[in-house]
Amino acid sequence: MYKAIPDEILLDSEKPARYIGNEINVVKKDSEKVDIRFAFCFPDVYEVGMSHLGLQILYYFLNRREDTYCERCFAPWIDMEEKMRQNNIPLFALESQQPIKNFDFVGFTLQYELCYTNVINMLDLAGIPIYRKDRTEDDPIIICGGSCAYNPEPIADFVDMFYLGEGEVLYDKILDIYKQYKKEGRSKQEFLERMLDFDGLYMPQFYDVTYKENGQIDAITPNNPKARKVITKVIVKDLDKVFYPEKQLVPLIEVVHDRVTVELFRGCIRGCRFCQAGFVYRPVREKRFETLLKQAESLVKSSGHDEISLISLATSDYTCFHELASGLLDEFKNKEISISLPSLRVDSFSLDLMQKIQEVRKSSLTFAAEAGTQRLRDVINKNITEDDILNGCKLAFEGGWLKVKMYFMLGLPTETDEDLIGIAQLCDKIVEKFFEIPKEDRPRPITVNASASCFVPKPFTPFQWDAQDTYEDFSRKGQLVKNNIKRKQVRFTYHNTMMSSLEGVMARGDRRISAAIYRAWQLGCKYDGWTDLFDYSKWQKAFNDTGIDMSFYANRLRSYDEVLPWDHISVGVSKKFLIEEREKAMRAEVTPNCRQKCSNCGAKRFGGGVCFDER
Amino acid sequence: MTNDNFKYRFKFTKGEEIKFIGHLDFMVAFQRAIKRADIPIAYSNGFNPHQLLNFASPLSLGYTSIGDYGDLQLQNWLSADEIKTRLNENMPIGVKILEVAELSKNAKKVMTSLCAASYEVKFEEAVTPKIIEENIDKFMLQDEIIVLKKTKRNLKDTDIKPDILEIENASDKAGKIKAKVNAGSVKNLKPESVAEAFMKYVGLEFNKNKNRYTRLDMYMSDQNGGLVGLIDGVEKI
Ligand code: SF4
Repeated sequence: MYKAIPDEILLDSEKPARYIGNEINVVKKDSEKVDIRFAFCFPDVYEVGMSHLGLQILYYFLNRREDTYCERCFAPWIDMEEKMRQNNIPLFALESQQPIKNFDFVGFTLQYELCYTNVINMLDLAGIPIYRKDRTEDDPIIICGGSCAYNPEPIADFVDMFYLGEGEVLYDKILDIYKQYKKEGRSKQEFLERMLDFDGLYMPQFYDVTYKENGQIDAITPNNPKARKVITKVIVKDLDKVFYPEKQLVPLIEVVHDRVTVELFRGCIRGCRFCQAGFVYRPVREKRFETLLKQAESLVKSSGHDEISLISLATSDYTCFHELASGLLDEFKNKEISISLPSLRVDSFSLDLMQKIQEVRKSSLTFAAEAGTQRLRDVINKNITEDDILNGCKLAFEGGWLKVKMYFMLGLPTETDEDLIGIAQLCDKIVEKFFEIPKEDRPRPITVNASASCFVPKPFTPFQWDAQDTYEDFSRKGQLVKNNIKRKQVRFTYHNTMMSSLEGVMARGDRRISAAIYRAWQLGCKYDGWTDLFDYSKWQKAFNDTGIDMSFYANRLRSYDEVLPWDHISVGVSKKFLIEEREKAMRAEVTPNCRQKCSNCGAKRFGGGVCFDER
Repeated sequence: MTNDNFKYRFKFTKGEEIKFIGHLDFMVAFQRAIKRADIPIAYSNGFNPHQLLNFASPLSLGYTSIGDYGDLQLQNWLSADEIKTRLNENMPIGVKILEVAELSKNAKKVMTSLCAASYEVKFEEAVTPKIIEENIDKFMLQDEIIVLKKTKRNLKDTDIKPDILEIENASDKAGKIKAKVNAGSVKNLKPESVAEAFMKYVGLEFNKNKNRYTRLDMYMSDQNGGLVGLIDGVEKI
């Protein structure tokens, strides 16, 4: 077996298996006999990337084409990167162990903003020029997708094309045309121009951005007659008919999630106003119960995993959720297979289901309350009440669960100190619920693990215009909550405040901040999402060096008529709807979910999903 | 009930493709292969039931093997051949099941039976076939062969000579030795220690990542005090 990295170096690295491939269900092809080579890059370490569902789907989707060889590539960990650079080993794909520089496509999935320096670093390690303008015909086409691609501007200078939406829709067409153009000996430029025919693809070179004197964007203008003014995402209409892999790659070392993943639906009916995923993936499209059972069965069989995870943005919103969960539990109970439900809403919690899960395996329960008072929960449209939360927790304690995780956010729009103290009080009340249980029924003590993230306003949400708190604000607020917790059973932690500040800049950044990202990478920034590797001072220096004001992006309230960096992109949800939602937020008014009532957000234009359900 | 289970022993290889998977991860991978193969494996009782699957001895990360062993217990009977076929269809790349044998109910466990193992060491270039040829006999004629061995608390000078049962020059173009050493829970010697001692003896610096190691076979004692393979020597049905 050929290995890109010599044994001696592998043996000296932290986890050599990250660089070997050969996992269960890996796809092996003769790289000489395919027309298209595609490197699917995940800009984080192996164990994180291998736990990502999108990778699993696209890997088999692309490889189902005989003419295409899709291989995986992850960011090497720090120790290995150093050795690769010392020994001039270019970044390679796991399957063939060959350098990705010679591939046709190098695709990155962008799952969080703090991966951008890793994207740059991987290009550099591959020997591919980082800036688009420096690349030639010999370099691969750099394509990016994933949720961060909806505001592509911060990395627009590095990327040839952005794929906006769900991969199953366009990749076959893209690859067919690419193959034809390659055979005909046409240039990359011709190919990229041809891609302008498709909605859902954004090639930044065909758009110019001009700025006003006050630093705001003046206009985003197409510079090619074929370039559309607004590019709209593409999505699958019917998830029962679309390709879903029967197999899953099963890593040979422990990764973040070692389990079978079954995707119940895409999108979310809720419309929590802080949540980008809740808007960009609209509308909700469900898979049928039978489809899911079939997929779960074949995945379990072909993987040998002992856990099935039912994932979606809010798993329990699946229409036949209880039937599905009980059905799966019955089906797999005798095979030592457990079911995990990563995203339960506290209000739909059922004791019956909970006990069934517990029969197989007991884990801690997670509830996302997000805010400490009803007023603020209404502002963010988190349609749950304090009673829902307390009853859910009480049920959990009565069912014998000893650990409850609570998620909150600091720095939400309109938040006051009262809301923050409310977080502390809510946690204390949860503990009090436990003590309402008769003493003989609570033999062991409980813990409530409350954690708070720092609110980052995201594009395509009703809060996309709002000012983010500074990290100093976040720290003060975190401490305030901490100081107000009285019960010793409550453990409160909050997220790295500086990381959230940087995320705030990236999330709503425009093309100009690419210079700062590049500079930060030069200064040695990478793996910025890893607390122990994150170095805020380097980032501050990078922004200083490039003369870019971080607070202009993060801490400034925009007006509704300002041109936003992502205004030439559409996720289907109209700006008008987002403005209405923001206005309602300011009045602490809630909006019913898509199943209760359609609010005409604009996503109906995609012609499928919940928008067409009878209510 | 453990007593009603059907017991089997298997012999397998671990090749280049999988040599960087450590023992614990390898066990998990093997357990998943058993599930995929739909082999009616028996589980232990208790709160966290686990598959009744045991390996003779962990193989160090980076080692390959052409003679490793394990035991498994099934709830329902399958023929040894059927198990071999099903496992081979589901093994990770680089693992091959060479042989499966059904054991008698009172066969001793594979870990407790194990008493020796043989290895091949392929040395880094500095250790030439010539060096080996000239030194291997003299090396073994020493009164003691001392290496610094890690114990639980500290490093200790240890005489490994009693644990080296046989050693021979196995060089082709590369410098290689084969060694049979004590293995198991009572006395255990790693081939790395042998390589280290030998390199020290010939005045070369030992770097633990530069040599390549392959386990060749694993043994139990037979009635006459000799050594026999872990399948060859076990009581079968
Ligand atoms: S159009 Fe209506 S039903 Fe469809 S996603 Fe928007 S609000 Fe929901």
